[in-house]
Amino acid sequence: MSKHLHLPASSFLHRRQFLHRAGLGFGGIALQSLLQEDGFGAGAHSAFDGKPQFAPKAKNVIWLFMRGGVSHMESFDPKPMLTQYAGKSIDETPYAHVQDPDRLKNVRVVVVNDANGKQRNVIYPLQVGYQKYGQSGTEVSDWFPHIGSCVDDISVIRSMWTTDDNHGAQVQFHSGKHRLDPPAPTIGAWVNYGLGSLNDNLPQFISMGPRYFDKKDGHYLGPAYDAVKLKIDLKNPLDYAKPESDLSGEEQGLGFGLVNRLNRLAKNHYPNDPSLEARIKSYELAYRMQTAVPDVINFDNETEATKKLYGLDQKETKSFGEQLLAARRLSERGVRFIQIMHGDGAAGAWDQHSKLKEKHSELAGQVDKPIAGLLKDLKQRGQLDETLVVFATEFGRTPGTQGSDGRDHHPYGFSVWMAGGGVKGGIAHGSTDELGFHAVENPHYVTDIHATILHQMGLHSHAMEVPGHKRLDMDFGSVIKEII
Amino acid sequence: MFASQRVIRSSIGFSIAAGLLMLTASASAVDYLRDIKPVLKARCYSCHGALKQKADLRVDTALSMIAAKAVLPGDAAGSELIKRISNEDDDERMPPEGHALKEDQIAAIRSWIASNAPLPKDEAAEDDPRSHWSFQAIQRPPLPADSDQANPVDRFLAARQKEAGLITQAPALRTIQLRRLYIDLIGLPPTEKQLKDERPWETIVDELLASPHHGERWGRHWMDIWRYSDWYGLGAQLRYSQKHLWHWRDWIVESLNEDKGYDEMIIEMLAGDEIAPEDPETLRATGFLARNYFLFNRTTWLDSTIEHTGKAFLGLTFNCAKCHDHKYDPIEAEDYYRFRAIFEPHQVRLDPVPGVTDFEKDGLPRVFDNHLDAETFLHQRGDPKQPDKELKITPGVPRFLSQFATKIEPVKLPLPAYAPGTQPFVQRDHLAAADTLVEKARENLEKVKVEMAKNATLEKSPAKKAPHDSESNFPLEDDFTAFNPLLWTLQGNGLAYKNGHLEQINPSREPGQLVSKHPLPRDFEVTCRYTTTGGPTYRSISFRFDRDEAGKNANFIYTSEHAPGPKVQAAYTENGKTTYPADGRAKKSEATGKPQELRIAVRDQLANVWLNGEFVLAYTFPGRRADGHFSLSAFDATAEFHSIRIEALGRDVQFTKSKNTSESDSEESLDKTLRLAELELESAIAGQESVKATIAADTAHYDKTKAPAPALEKAATEGQIKEMEARAAFEMAKHEGGDKKKLSAATALKKKAEGQREALQNGTAAYKSLRASRKALETPAHKVEDYPSVYPEESTGRRTMLAKWITAPENPLTARVAVNHVWMRHFGEPLVETVSDFGRQAKKPIHHDLLDFLAAEFIESGWSFRHLHRLLVTSQTYQLSSSNRGASGENLQLDPTNSLYWKMNPMRMESQVVRDSLLHLAGDLDLTTGGPSLDSGNAKNRRSLYFTHSPDKLDQFLTTFDDADLLQCYRRSTSIVPQQALALSNSAMSLQSAEKIATKIGLERAQKDFITAAFDLILGRSPDSSEVEACETFLSELATLSAEESNSSATRFRNQLVHALLNHNDFVTVR
Repeated sequence: MSKHLHLPASSFLHRRQFLHRAGLGFGGIALQSLLQEDGFGAGAHSAFDGKPQFAPKAKNVIWLFMRGGVSHMESFDPKPMLTQYAGKSIDETPYAHVQDPDRLKNVRVVVVNDANGKQRNVIYPLQVGYQKYGQSGTEVSDWFPHIGSCVDDISVIRSMWTTDDNHGAQVQFHSGKHRLDPPAPTIGAWVNYGLGSLNDNLPQFISMGPRYFDKKDGHYLGPAYDAVKLKIDLKNPLDYAKPESDLSGEEQGLGFGLVNRLNRLAKNHYPNDPSLEARIKSYELAYRMQTAVPDVINFDNETEATKKLYGLDQKETKSFGEQLLAARRLSERGVRFIQIMHGDGAAGAWDQHSKLKEKHSELAGQVDKPIAGLLKDLKQRGQLDETLVVFATEFGRTPGTQGSDGRDHHPYGFSVWMAGGGVKGGIAHGSTDELGFHAVENPHYVTDIHATILHQMGLHSHAMEVPGHKRLDMDFGSVIKEII
Repeated sequence: MFASQRVIRSSIGFSIAAGLLMLTASASAVDYLRDIKPVLKARCYSCHGALKQKADLRVDTALSMIAAKAVLPGDAAGSELIKRISNEDDDERMPPEGHALKEDQIAAIRSWIASNAPLPKDEAAEDDPRSHWSFQAIQRPPLPADSDQANPVDRFLAARQKEAGLITQAPALRTIQLRRLYIDLIGLPPTEKQLKDERPWETIVDELLASPHHGERWGRHWMDIWRYSDWYGLGAQLRYSQKHLWHWRDWIVESLNEDKGYDEMIIEMLAGDEIAPEDPETLRATGFLARNYFLFNRTTWLDSTIEHTGKAFLGLTFNCAKCHDHKYDPIEAEDYYRFRAIFEPHQVRLDPVPGVTDFEKDGLPRVFDNHLDAETFLHQRGDPKQPDKELKITPGVPRFLSQFATKIEPVKLPLPAYAPGTQPFVQRDHLAAADTLVEKARENLEKVKVEMAKNATLEKSPAKKAPHDSESNFPLEDDFTAFNPLLWTLQGNGLAYKNGHLEQINPSREPGQLVSKHPLPRDFEVTCRYTTTGGPTYRSISFRFDRDEAGKNANFIYTSEHAPGPKVQAAYTENGKTTYPADGRAKKSEATGKPQELRIAVRDQLANVWLNGEFVLAYTFPGRRADGHFSLSAFDATAEFHSIRIEALGRDVQFTKSKNTSESDSEESLDKTLRLAELELESAIAGQESVKATIAADTAHYDKTKAPAPALEKAATEGQIKEMEARAAFEMAKHEGGDKKKLSAATALKKKAEGQREALQNGTAAYKSLRASRKALETPAHKVEDYPSVYPEESTGRRTMLAKWITAPENPLTARVAVNHVWMRHFGEPLVETVSDFGRQAKKPIHHDLLDFLAAEFIESGWSFRHLHRLLVTSQTYQLSSSNRGASGENLQLDPTNSLYWKMNPMRMESQVVRDSLLHLAGDLDLTTGGPSLDSGNAKNRRSLYFTHSPDKLDQFLTTFDDADLLQCYRRSTSIVPQQALALSNSAMSLQSAEKIATKIGLERAQKDFITAAFDLILGRSPDSSEVEACETFLSELATLSAEESNSSATRFRNQLVHALLNHNDFVTVR
């Protein structure tokens, strides 16, 4: 390969832009390092060379996101006071101060609507019991008994807060940016941008399940950093996964061979053209991916016990379980970031403005066993140490009732949890007040989760910036030191 | 004592500083220019430099810091500069924003001061911001004399190249040149014949510039820059942009095709409603502003307007001055809000287009000044909750460039502009629409009566089953072995008869529909066997009945194999809006790939559904249409339909009651249907009367030559009240016991009518002029009906002032920015790298003289893009080879990035061009121009720019090749990703195009001839011997693979060869 294209040191931006534009959707950095090895990018930007900036704890992330807003009080932050003061309005309790206007001012309203995003004042009792699990004795609600059984491997963060009181908070949870601000790359895109590939046959950033309404991840980093959508469908696992014709595998192989031969021969006509190199590489990867991707979702070699662990044998858990089993297989193969969303529908299935008990218990039933199965499976394979599993949702739900049996959106305090990848187990970090209203002890904005993930992956969150796109301190977040 | 103490302190300071320095850098002594000035420039100049001199301090020279006593040479600790940058109190610390300076930076400054602050030689103060190159008037530079080039582009470049010792590459092959030119000017690759065109270059250039496809090609570029987006929202709720924004797209294309001056285009886009308020053609241009509409937040809406007006036309980043004064450019926060005040009064509305009264179908999106007195306040720190009420903000342009701004002159609007309902065509259309409603309601009532009579006869019939009615074609049975035109019509694409069944071949969200020719019996049952074979997400198979011709109204049952919850669902569509009631839903087990038998029985409003013989769902529909057809389709699914039987409902069918309504017996239901039909007719007649009375009143009211006619106005008021009453009565009856929201809306309407009637009696009611336009909601809490139907008679003229200022020949930015955009799209790289920021962050370009020459030429040509294009593409430079082959070693050493254009830059085709090229080479591209946006899908072969372009609806293929970012796309990204390889290798479009292209090249040609012709057509050049050999090897390998040899296999191999060439890097590259 050519070593003749010398770029002057002053053309940093130019070169960076080229690499940027020529970047690959996956193995993007792999290509960049390839070009660097070939002398195309010699001496380029040292912040991201496809390697962690310091010794990482985790190699990959499995990001589980429950769309719609999981009730924190009825999942990982039980609040007995709700039952005690049930039916009373908040200002009749000793905790009336939670509604001081000053404490509510962070919220930025996008959607003005009587039906949601309102303060709900009449306290709604807990709809589910809870118990202590494991040696740590962390309390988990009875809707999540399987996750409860893994609690000694989990750090629950009970003091999250955000600022969008509508489902734009899903965008905010992924990018750290409020819906009214210009869009920014999501955490998955940053990980993809910052780290190299561990497997050149697979995308480095994969999404499964229903997307939230922002369909992009890369934004100003470019489409090369968008997630590649994967479906658990052997016939059609990703877009254009195989010829939409009767072309046989052999014929296709010869075709790919000819394309690459011709692209190499074209170098005689267009020597020193980096786009030719990148194009050749992209076809090689595409061809390998055609086999590698279906292989990931072919569970034939998994034991019945493993399948059962993920709930593949049960109707309600099968669909999510398959995605999680695929996630384990992807993480095993070195995919950096696997983003799985649960809960279809415009706003997300977990959006229980009514029928909280019925629906939350049903939805929890779909995810509880598979998630616990994933944690156990990763652990028994020794993979949990380097795989960071995150369970998140866009916001919590109101301590007060909406209608007769629902809870509204609640951005002031909610819970997420992390496990594996160097995160301590058996921790319940931070807390909300007695009503579960505000995050009071060790409050964390959503980007603290991002900073913690990046830190575990060996990246400085403050290094995640590109020229022309200034980020605020808040956008970078701070590492949650107490849980690592 | 005092002196010695100071010495000691400063020497301690020095030693600490020195120590720190030793720790942080291996640097010997601190160098002011190297270690300090860049830090001050980055962090301090914006407030203490040429732009601003807060506290009368400038830190852009060492001398100025010493003169201001911020630096006391020799006394670091005593220097105010050190005190402030190292202060631990956040309120005192400088700089106030962002992090404090780093310790080593502070240490360096301290050390420099401690060593008596040595002055650098000849340090110049920062230039006056107003002297920035792009803020200077455009002056036509003289052509460099020392060159024999005829084209000014070549002349300017040759001078630079000569100076640098560069030798230009040879011209590209003629065929490569032609391919470049065709793709560049019309976005379509040349045909085999066009590649052999021997006419002079200029002749071909002129022909292409005159082609209607030129406007499409360059229109798409400007759609990128001007942020074209079709509307999107939630369901039918408009949240962003505007419905029917394609009118603006057509204006862009047409304007370019008629070579309208860019100045005129800008004026029309920003102020078309003020300069030509009665001309719908011009009004289309204001789609530029309408596109920024945002339902939820006016500030966000105006922020977008300000930011992108600034970036698109002026290359000014106004957005940076929203929260505080601009850090680099002489734009103050107040300028930002003065700019906002220009847009403050404007709103968006849809105006009627002839022949259409339903704004969901069509309408013209346009802007107009609505709130003439709306005030603008400066938002402190950019926070809308903190308006500065003390400061009076008046509309205006940034002060530093305001010398050539003209005065704001309000514009008197003509009647049709502010009262669109007074236009004769609008009145005619509204009368016709009201007549149609009456007619339809009357027909409906007749049908219901006939149905009742029939039913009465049936009651008397002893037969268990309804008798076979030969006229009605029921029972209907079909096993789908072949299309039966007597029974069905086939609508849309994607449904086909194959292998003995009916099949939806590719999943689509706009699938084909098999529609029964004959209306269904009112009560019926359907049994259908089918298999859902796959599909991306929803995998639904729908059975519609009561369906009108366009499919805008229907009741239906569908099954979905959607993974999280396979289900059977009853749903209904009214006026295109579908409702999926929760109590019309039943779970089922996943059955992809398994044949299922679905049986639906419908009696009046009650439907029962059985799946594989088991009862699954009972649901009572809110209403039935008296007449309607049956259809089946697969939504987002592939499916095979095996058989169907439709028959009149047997008397013995046992129904399960639904939970959503108490079962009413059939007669009662028919009675209700009759009553509804009568009420609907009454409501339609009242509507018709109301329209007539309103038009009469309007005609009298707006005719200033005649005396007022209070009787007519009173009649109109009366008519409008009656209409409300009749409609409320109908809606209330219709939704009684059904949709609660609709029922309460009907009740509210009734209340409103009552209030109006009372007001009429008190003499306080006033009629409303004919509502013929639809104003976009200002907040989601508003309703269209609450807005006046007539708008202000005046427009502020603010936007006209703005547009004239932007297009004034004195404006130093407008022409430069436009020329730079055009240059970049012809030559692959811009002259000014930061295409949307020409402020002080933009370095003076290497080719400043060329840029200014082109800008001057552009203005003097009457802002003619055609003139500019011709100038650029007829240059020698444009026709150079893009290859490095044969380039001198010096060239590669001296100018590896080709900044002096000694060769052409290769470019990746834009996504639209990739798709259009595939289809065009295959002869499949439908070259129809203009019209409403189309949802994408391979079935439609229109050019890609006509696809719906919004965040909700992006074409998958186009997205893969870096489609325009809808939020801001001053320059497209061009990635090279494996998904592109998969899309080009595996998409049906690419595979099918390959077959057709192979046929067009001529399968009868000898092998080598075929290979050469394929290279010529697809890559624009002939293959060399090793490329021919590679292709021949490929063909023979394919032959070895194939067991039998035949003509058809030879064809197949050649198709694959063409397919490989479509995947060649140089197909998607403009060489």
